[in-house]
Amino acid sequence: MKTPKNTDTRAWPGEIPLESLYTAGLAGQMFFSALQERGEIVGTRCDPCKQVYVPARAFCERCFAELANPVTVKPEGMLVSFTFCAYDRDQQPLATPQALALVRLDGATTVMLHYLLKVSDPAKVRIGARVRAVIKPKAKRTGSILDIEGFALMGSA
Amino acid sequence: MSGKPETVRGTPLETADFKKGKVFTVSYVPKLEYNWDTGVAVGRYLEELKNGRLIARVCHRCQRVMIPPRMFCERCFRPTDDWAYVQDTGTVNTFSLCYVSWDVRRLKQPEIPAVIEIDGAAPGMGIMHKLGKVNPKQVRVGMRVRAVWKPAAQRTGSITDILYFEPIKGGAGKPAKPAAKRKK
Repeated sequence: MKTPKNTDTRAWPGEIPLESLYTAGLAGQMFFSALQERGEIVGTRCDPCKQVYVPARAFCERCFAELANPVTVKPEGMLVSFTFCAYDRDQQPLATPQALALVRLDGATTVMLHYLLKVSDPAKVRIGARVRAVIKPKAKRTGSILDIEGFALMGSA
Repeated sequence: MSGKPETVRGTPLETADFKKGKVFTVSYVPKLEYNWDTGVAVGRYLEELKNGRLIARVCHRCQRVMIPPRMFCERCFRPTDDWAYVQDTGTVNTFSLCYVSWDVRRLKQPEIPAVIEIDGAAPGMGIMHKLGKVNPKQVRVGMRVRAVWKPAAQRTGSITDILYFEPIKGGAGKPAKPAAKRKK
């Protein structure tokens, strides 16, 4: 019994269309409206756990208590970690490497991830450096995390 | 929202609320693409459609000429043996008059999907396609039909290389093979 060669095999292309809208939730709603309307960065406080979550969260991750106390933090903080990305999500080389920052804002106990701006010399960036949020002008804000352009290094780095 | 139980917490949202931008959202559209491997038999079948021909597979044991072709005879439980070209004419085995489209729009002119037993293939062997150039009221089981092909340059190796099947003039209502002669 001769098995036919698989020379004519071809593939049939298809697509599965899926769209989703992810809602910010109660705490996210509060965080993004403060950012959009007032240009402020808002967190929530859990007094028993001595935590200030930034961005705001609806529940304490440690004791599961509902967090009802919003707190506005300063748009300044400390660089906790950073990285330089040379490739995008599809593993294509980026024209200029993108610097990312983990920042703990003054008054917050958690860190948030964003772009690191005003890097003149990557070799001189240090953990512990002071950074300041660069917030877009109100007319350009849309209630997105990108209403913050990123965190700029203060001083020289 | 009416009838909402008092104890339920949360924020009810409706489509209009999203459209108005009542809440902040992030849109996510995953890119889900796939390639379905047609295998040997359907690969050749599609290739031949591009050539304007219908091809079938033959099982030497049960003598059936099978379309669409398959590399395995499901009746004899053994590989099929040969390729065989069959006609692009046939007989309506069954049909439906559809007054709704696939996305549930009303249609004034119905779509007429039909199973067409292909001439040259084993009795009862047919393909699903559409009927065209026919008065919906005059479609009958047993009606003789012929494939209407796309121009060769427009064919892509798809079942839609056949646009539809149209009635063979003078053949309407005449069954190709009397039911009694069919092999069971």
